[in-house]
Amino acid sequence: MGKWLLKLVQLFNPVFRRQGIDVDRLYTIVELKLLMDTRRVYMSWKQNQQKDNKNHLTTILILYGLFGVFMGVAVYSFPNLVTAMILFHSYVIFMMAMTLITDFSSVLLDTTDNQILLPRPVNSKTLFMARLIHVLLYLLQFSVAICLVPVIAIFVKYGALVGLGMIITSQLTVLLAVFITYLLYLLVLRFSSEQKIKEIVTYFQIGMTLFFTVGYQLIPRMIDLEGLSASFTLKWYSFLIPPVWMAMALESLYDYNFDLAHLTMLFLAVFVPLFLYWVLNKFLAPLFSKQLANLNNDSRVNKKQPVGIKSRKGFSGRLASLCCVTPVEKGAFELTWKMTSRDKAFRLQFYPALGYIPIFLFIIIFNGGRNMAEQFALLPDSNKFLWMIYIPLFAVASSLTIVTFNENFQASWIYHSMPVKRPGELLSGNLKALIAKYFLPVYLAFFGISLFVWGPAIIDDFVLGLFNSLISLLVLTQFTEHFLPFSRQPNVKQQSGKFLKIILQMLIIGVLVVIHYFLLDRVYIMYGVALLSLLGLWLMVKNLQAISWNKISV
Amino acid sequence: MSIIQLQQVRKQYSGTYVLQGIDLSFDKGQIVGYIGPNGAGKSTTIKILTGIISDFEGNAMVLGLDVRKDPMIIKQQIGYIPENAALYDVLTPVEYLDFVGKLYQMDAVNTRKKALDLLRLFDLADKHDMRMNSFSKGMRQKVLLISGLIHNPEIIFLDEPLSGLDANAVILVKEILSQLKHSGKTIFYSSHIMDVVEKISDRIIIINKGAVIADGTFDELKKAGAEGSLENIFTALTGDQQHLSTAGEFVDIMKNFSNG
Repeated sequence: MGKWLLKLVQLFNPVFRRQGIDVDRLYTIVELKLLMDTRRVYMSWKQNQQKDNKNHLTTILILYGLFGVFMGVAVYSFPNLVTAMILFHSYVIFMMAMTLITDFSSVLLDTTDNQILLPRPVNSKTLFMARLIHVLLYLLQFSVAICLVPVIAIFVKYGALVGLGMIITSQLTVLLAVFITYLLYLLVLRFSSEQKIKEIVTYFQIGMTLFFTVGYQLIPRMIDLEGLSASFTLKWYSFLIPPVWMAMALESLYDYNFDLAHLTMLFLAVFVPLFLYWVLNKFLAPLFSKQLANLNNDSRVNKKQPVGIKSRKGFSGRLASLCCVTPVEKGAFELTWKMTSRDKAFRLQFYPALGYIPIFLFIIIFNGGRNMAEQFALLPDSNKFLWMIYIPLFAVASSLTIVTFNENFQASWIYHSMPVKRPGELLSGNLKALIAKYFLPVYLAFFGISLFVWGPAIIDDFVLGLFNSLISLLVLTQFTEHFLPFSRQPNVKQQSGKFLKIILQMLIIGVLVVIHYFLLDRVYIMYGVALLSLLGLWLMVKNLQAISWNKISV
Repeated sequence: MSIIQLQQVRKQYSGTYVLQGIDLSFDKGQIVGYIGPNGAGKSTTIKILTGIISDFEGNAMVLGLDVRKDPMIIKQQIGYIPENAALYDVLTPVEYLDFVGKLYQMDAVNTRKKALDLLRLFDLADKHDMRMNSFSKGMRQKVLLISGLIHNPEIIFLDEPLSGLDANAVILVKEILSQLKHSGKTIFYSSHIMDVVEKISDRIIIINKGAVIADGTFDELKKAGAEGSLENIFTALTGDQQHLSTAGEFVDIMKNFSNG
């Protein structure tokens, strides 16, 4: 799509020439940047599915387009234009801001660009225009993908005038999204480091991944709108919400209602984005490039941390002493604890899995009927707390595999060069860290919620469930290949056995749930089984710790 | 007429001067070694000479032209190889070099042929179609070297050009530089690998804290500073003798806590 759009840009060639822009070099740079856009790894899509030679950008645009279809259907089926348009413009602003923050950050924050282009004979006007055109084309490609189907839907339902108006308002909304993104970056750049920005971007990326994967499940279900009352009443704060401006402006185009409220909205819809754009150009953009330049030159601003021996152990250190016996195990525990907090790839892969938990619950608990209140009232009489017990296990189990991968997988030489007698202790330390850090908090939270809904009768179930879950995690570790934590190269196609692992996981959980189900009313047996379970757990930990070097996979 | 000339060049970043009045001038056909500790202002000097930084005080002339007035003409005739292997690594070497060639307005067919030939000489023939994000530091450095030389520049600015290269490539690059010098090119070589600078440079400039503290041939520097290698002269001139006591302390601590 970028190349076609570039053809349109070429219409402006005479203008460019008059401004002293070197047209040949301009297109050389823009074309290259468009080419690189197609090769960047897009965060909102699962990274390991992005093959090297495919055009990632097209894939991502098609994905956005599909969401656009959902949105188009929704917009079409809404009985009320204003509500439909509020929904649509909120969607545009959300999608564009998220896209800009997650994917375009690499372009906005890229400082290698200067090092490559500035020494070459390209004048600054050309360079500026090349960057501008690139950004505009990028935005245009995404806004076309997002807005195309909804705009067609509106054209069909409300006529050409509203349709055309919508094209304009959607672009104005994109402008707002750009402003928001810039503002966010500036704030972060102002108050913290580049590292922090990357950190924040990671969380947005996690949110984005979650949005896409969950969105595919939920949005089609939610489009059924019969029960939704779709009327809109104007409140004073409506004047503060940009999507409302756009929606009201379009309504006035539809029914030619130009009363004071509509005129105000129309005015806000057109002039606020333009004004903010002017502010952006005049003040924010120069400030932004200045901040960025500072980032680049300031190696010396790094505040020196006071050097010295830290007297107190960190939280993870104390926890490690609590959970682990040998120094090797403690070391592995702390390593896993800290690395999982800091490694971007781990968080990007694992946190969305945690994010599924509430959504799973929502689907399971409120499945079937429409009336949520009714469902909720029936809850205490059901056995649905069994889900509450075993969902955390299912969600956290994926971390076992993810934790074995790391960008710096080569650093695992350290395990092999050290006099570690029983590498099983590395595995057990790693596992304990994952359990303490992710499994237990989730499990406790679920316990709390269940206690609130079902009352103290479920305590014994959660005790048994805890031991069962822990045993399952150990079984999963025991019966799959033993990789040391952070020792495997990511994104290579050696993830065989992944399917087997999932089957195994399902099987174990299934069996546990069935056993648990039959024990539900027999409290004493339950405690007995729990005791047995605990014993099994202890044996299995011993077993895991005793694993020798020849069982470790490399 | 000197090919590069700096007069009282000063440059500040948010209040502190990283260059405090540099005066330099030298002629065509030399290899000039430019050394100094980290943060001495080496890279900043190069960025001024290559027209990347234009807000500085004083005068800088390259090829007889003012870097602030005619940066385009200068940039067309110089090559710059930056230190941290900055290139677009989602591209293949051929794509990248094509792009660079176009920016220098070279003929596309000619660029491609040149690029392929030069890649072959650097043992990258079989990798010319692979994306550079899978490349090692040394391989990227080779592509970077080619991208700075492909347009046959008059002056070549190198910032740590040997980093990451394997032993054979180091020998090759040193020989290329020396033959370039004999064909009349000027080479401005910034590095802290002293024995290389010592061997290839016709003239050595040492800067410290933004000022030139020594300037001359290796033999002249020996007279001014200390006997022995460039490293000895360097530590004598920069007045940094602390490494002796630091090393001693290091070994002490290491022994104390062993097998603790």
